[in-house]
Amino acid sequence: MSTNHYPSLNQIEAIQSAFEEAGYICTTRIATVIRLAAALEKPVLIEGPPGVGKTELAKTCATVVDRPLVRLQCYEGLDESKALYEWKYGKQLLYTQLLKEQLGDVLDGAKGLDESMARLHEFGDVFYSEAFLESRPLLKAMEADQGGVLLIDEIDKADFEFESLLLEVLSDYQVSIPELGTIRARSKPLVFLTSNDTRDLSDALKRRCLHLHIPFPSIELEAKIVASRVPDLAQSMTKKLVQFVHAVRSLDLKKAPAISETVDWAKSLLLLHAKDLDSALVQDTLNVLLKYEDDIQTAQGQLSKLMVAAAES
Amino acid sequence: MGRQRQDDTAAGARHAAVSSDQLLAFMQYLRGQKIAVSPADTLDAVAVAELLGYDNRSLLRDGLASTLAKSQHELTVFETAFDQYFQPTLRRPGGSSAANDDDANAMTPPDPDSAVPASAPEQRNEDPLDGLRGNSLFDALENRDDSALSVAIETAAADAKVDDISLFTQRGQYVRKILDALGDEALRDAAIEFEQSEPAAFEAVQALREQLRERVRDRVERAYLIHAKADTEDLLDESLSKIKLGNVDHSQMARLKRLMDRMARKLAARHGRRRRRYRRGKLNVGETVRRAIPTDGVPFAPRWRKSERKRPQIMAICDVSGSVAAYAKFLLMFLYALQDVLPRTRTFAFSAALGEVSDLFADLPVAEAIERVNLKYGGATDYGRALHEFSESALAEVNNATTIIILGDARNNQADPRLDLLAEMKARAKQLIWLNPESIRLWGTGDSEMLRVKRHCHLARECNNLKQLERIIDKLLSDKR
Repeated sequence: MSTNHYPSLNQIEAIQSAFEEAGYICTTRIATVIRLAAALEKPVLIEGPPGVGKTELAKTCATVVDRPLVRLQCYEGLDESKALYEWKYGKQLLYTQLLKEQLGDVLDGAKGLDESMARLHEFGDVFYSEAFLESRPLLKAMEADQGGVLLIDEIDKADFEFESLLLEVLSDYQVSIPELGTIRARSKPLVFLTSNDTRDLSDALKRRCLHLHIPFPSIELEAKIVASRVPDLAQSMTKKLVQFVHAVRSLDLKKAPAISETVDWAKSLLLLHAKDLDSALVQDTLNVLLKYEDDIQTAQGQLSKLMVAAAES
Repeated sequence: MGRQRQDDTAAGARHAAVSSDQLLAFMQYLRGQKIAVSPADTLDAVAVAELLGYDNRSLLRDGLASTLAKSQHELTVFETAFDQYFQPTLRRPGGSSAANDDDANAMTPPDPDSAVPASAPEQRNEDPLDGLRGNSLFDALENRDDSALSVAIETAAADAKVDDISLFTQRGQYVRKILDALGDEALRDAAIEFEQSEPAAFEAVQALREQLRERVRDRVERAYLIHAKADTEDLLDESLSKIKLGNVDHSQMARLKRLMDRMARKLAARHGRRRRRYRRGKLNVGETVRRAIPTDGVPFAPRWRKSERKRPQIMAICDVSGSVAAYAKFLLMFLYALQDVLPRTRTFAFSAALGEVSDLFADLPVAEAIERVNLKYGGATDYGRALHEFSESALAEVNNATTIIILGDARNNQADPRLDLLAEMKARAKQLIWLNPESIRLWGTGDSEMLRVKRHCHLARECNNLKQLERIIDKLLSDKR
């Protein structure tokens, strides 16, 4: 429909294989949303439990399209001077001090205050020009020549006001700076926002985004992911391990293990040269998978049940 | 009109037309399911559908979900709705759509030709149905052209204003209207004609008409489900917010809770932000000058005034004796739903004795906490004692940022209500609000002390339904900036 800056994102199957090559196994749904984001030039709002690969998706996307990744980590109190732009206040002061002598030349021969002011006006807003503008992530992403990938991580951690600040960036790909005017994106970046759903985002923000919810993956998908991340682990082992993790997730836990934990666990088992998943081994390495003492104890109490689930074929 | 469309659109385009009509109807359906679909969302959805095409069902579903479902809850609703609305069976002929449409298309051109000899049907006397061929409705039925039929039915349904349906009993009437708009009359006339002379043709036409009727009935029922059902829901919500909270029966609790949460969210959104904006962006001159000392007085780093977060504190004192307990429950539920805006709320419950119950609410789910409160502090009401105990335990912490809300009917069994204590509370607090679930006409009757109590409050209000409760809390929050 419109000119597309990211030709590698035109085909859903191609997206899937390109991502797979970059080490990210994505479902058709994910690929579909990325395809839409590239074609409709809309930001993607990724939601889901921690550790399912939300941030990773954006990073992989940057690798696939081979553009720089600009990342903005959100936190409470984040404001425009840290997210958008800031005037280089120190530099401005320094320059005024240094240029003090020049002032005499400029104003040489001017009579009265009015004329001096008029002369000064002729120089325009030298001190409020791009040379004194410190770009922060959002503006940086707008300034990238070939487009890029902008990742706004954990938007739910930022204040409510910050969301409103984002609206202009997200819908029109531009930033308004009072002293300079509007700066448009040279080439529209792909924008990803991630949220852990700790609070409701505003409707205005939601409306501007495509929504992608990444849940915990199915057994097959997770096995595929582990296999691609830890290729040296035996296939039978991978399968058992993933089935075990899925059984663990069904328990009542403070924090269910995410994909990243599964991968970490697979790596540790590989490191230990484990040949088979037995209870002793699981007992010893459960702390890789579960991050709370309470959770570990819950899982240990149910260990035999979990082992049965893991051994299922 | 239906005929024209059928004649001059190519097979593919016709297919798309069906789908985008259906898509718009689907948005309507989603709205009925309480998913807010704005016009902008609709545009996005159409763009998505155009991009992805209508051929791959799951692809379309994923794509539409990304623009229409804005939370996980909405996603589940969306997926069921999608499956319900775009039933896979509907796509069965569409699955081999290319072949099927080509067939239909191939049949269309000869039609006008066959319509000419149809003027003299007896001449060949081969098939009495020939007389009906060329009637777009009949053709569509006979060729099982789902797309054309759907379009025709949608158009007729729009003409018949079926979306205005509000009662279940109106179904028959709307089915009739749509059938008329579709041109079923021609088929009926033909059937009457055939009834005597051509039994086989009569059977065939009647069977097709029955199919048509079936589809129209489905369409009408769906319209009822979408529109009337949503209206009924709204009506229920509306009436529930006006019903006396004491009369809400158990089966309505879930709905009421939902309604209350929604109101609380709205209030929180309206008042939560404003307070944080307060005084932001003002230069802190003293601090800036002090910071400038090492740089010879040149203010390198300006300091700003911190925004002042003065949140109101609420102390709620609730009568939990039998007559008022239900209202206390709702007030407390509401206050706790507002915890984001009012994080320092303290609650006290009394009937005979008074005690602080904030901890109970912090630890337990609201409903359970209320049970416990009732158990612990229930008994014959004694306002005098309650106020006295409040003064002892908490009055020292009441200051000019505190709002005290007292919920009770002020019926004190002829005992001394200790108005002096009330006066003292009023003097110390920013606001003293008395909420009385009794109707204002009953104030002061019998053992009610309400008229005397009223004089010692900043605000005394009748409060027995959700609407009133919302209004009072709204007022309370906006006063407190």
